[in-house]
Amino acid sequence: MALLALNDLTVTFDDLTAVDSVSFTIEPGETLGVVGESGSGKSVTALSIMRLIEMGTRAKIKRGQAEFTMPDGSTIDLLTQNEATMRGIRGNQIAMIFQEPLTSLNPVYPVGEQIAESLRIHERLSRKSAMARARQMFDLVRIPEADKRIRQYPHEMSGGMRQRIMIAIALCCGPRLLIADEPTTALDVTIQAQILGLIKQLQVETGTAVMLITHDMGVIAEVADRVVVMNQSKVVEQGPVEQIFHSAKEPYTQGLISAVPRLGSMAGKDDPEAFHLAGTLQ
Amino acid sequence: MTDTEPLVRVESVSKRFPADRHAQVHAVTNVSLHIDHGETLAVVGESGCGKSTLANLIIRLHDPDEGRVLLKGVDITHLGPREIRPHRKTMQIVFQDPFASLDPRVRVGTAVIEPLKVHGIASGEAAEERAGTLFELVGLERSMLRNFPHQFSGGQRQRVCIARALALNPELVIADEAVSALDVSVQAQVMNLMLDLQQELGLSYLFISHDLAVVERIAHRVAVMYLGQVVELGPRRAIFENPTHSYTRRLLDAVPIADPHQRRTRPLLTDEIPSPVWGRGQGPELVELVEVAPGHLVARED
Repeated sequence: MALLALNDLTVTFDDLTAVDSVSFTIEPGETLGVVGESGSGKSVTALSIMRLIEMGTRAKIKRGQAEFTMPDGSTIDLLTQNEATMRGIRGNQIAMIFQEPLTSLNPVYPVGEQIAESLRIHERLSRKSAMARARQMFDLVRIPEADKRIRQYPHEMSGGMRQRIMIAIALCCGPRLLIADEPTTALDVTIQAQILGLIKQLQVETGTAVMLITHDMGVIAEVADRVVVMNQSKVVEQGPVEQIFHSAKEPYTQGLISAVPRLGSMAGKDDPEAFHLAGTLQ
Repeated sequence: MTDTEPLVRVESVSKRFPADRHAQVHAVTNVSLHIDHGETLAVVGESGCGKSTLANLIIRLHDPDEGRVLLKGVDITHLGPREIRPHRKTMQIVFQDPFASLDPRVRVGTAVIEPLKVHGIASGEAAEERAGTLFELVGLERSMLRNFPHQFSGGQRQRVCIARALALNPELVIADEAVSALDVSVQAQVMNLMLDLQQELGLSYLFISHDLAVVERIAHRVAVMYLGQVVELGPRRAIFENPTHSYTRRLLDAVPIADPHQRRTRPLLTDEIPSPVWGRGQGPELVELVEVAPGHLVARED
């Protein structure tokens, strides 16, 4: 049974339909890549699953279901749950990390305490045992010099280390779905490789499913099992990663793939070369 | 000026910025390179490696602490504001964020005409005619000259910025992460435009980017910067097909390849780039570049 079955999700901002009849499933332990250009509706989809989209915005979830399978095998529709239930689901069952770790972290608390905070709230641990678990989480996300780092403030850490902290906070309560919204977009390429490698490794270690939202087809090719391609609020095409990259059916997907610079594609050529754009980009 | 003199020659330039009273950021240290007529030199490296500072030094938005910049054989490093002005026409720059580089209250046509007026090249109808021609050159319509920046998409705005940069018939266009903020389909279209313009107008580009896959597409030669210094420099094929410095290889290994057939597993590393901040009187050890093949320079490693 799918971990999450999203069906016909439609979200509007006043007259604008930001997400239009979007359906897909996420299986336990898999990585679903959601790819699309700015404004295609990727983040609104994710925030709707978390039921964060209607908070402080003019967004309305108009239609759809998000059937989530709980650990006991029962399913609940996330889109109809009240806020109290959602609070129990966020963090415990579904966790989320964002593009910019600096705005997600509280600047006035040491990072260790911010990991411990989730554990105290969700698992009702004492301060001491929460800090001990936070220390273990530092090892899980491979932060060196953990005993020193755990007392540092966010501004004392690099972007890559901050994103590791965010991942630690997201994973500390053992969620079964991690939604990562452009988690490496603000990072340098060497650090991006580290963070993607870490997410992959943690998935093997914890069995968490990942919904990875990105505009970067390279990142998708590297980590996704299946891919959902979004454009202008709709799902254009979805399928296994190999199929999307090597035998896309939709002209939009073909265009997108043809526009992606692929390292190594210029081997043997002396001069620069224009992109041969395909599909809708022709 | 001889026939072999490159368009731009950068000789051992360094630039430091104060970090606090006791320390300095060594942004660019002892960098030498050149840009030939009609070629694209790409400068790659991670945030803080000094690539934008290098661009600003070449275009004289910063003054170097040491070293000099020669434009067509003329040392422009110490020219005053009035003396540098004719040289500014030769070099123009396009920045990363087309939203921030256009005045929201100025019609884009006016923005393109402004440099023509400032440099006394054209005014009135002649200037408008030139602006119209430039718009057509970059794939926009003449009628759009009267629009304001907010009426354009990101890609169109970057085309406006390119049109403005081309207004003075420059020989060098510096593109500082000029395609980085664009969606991938728009990025490809703007890069194709840049390649067309290079063919048509014989432009040289200094193409600054953190994205190696983009650089591989557009560059003739590549300089790899690490902590303010060039650690490898050479023809694009040499850098991509025979990367020799350990940092170049690390950078290339980190690039995700947009092909699931080429998926790799990676070791779980945590190492990060050291700080370029040094106490007064201290500084990084200077690298020594060795020519391993014609035009292919690599910093000696222990």
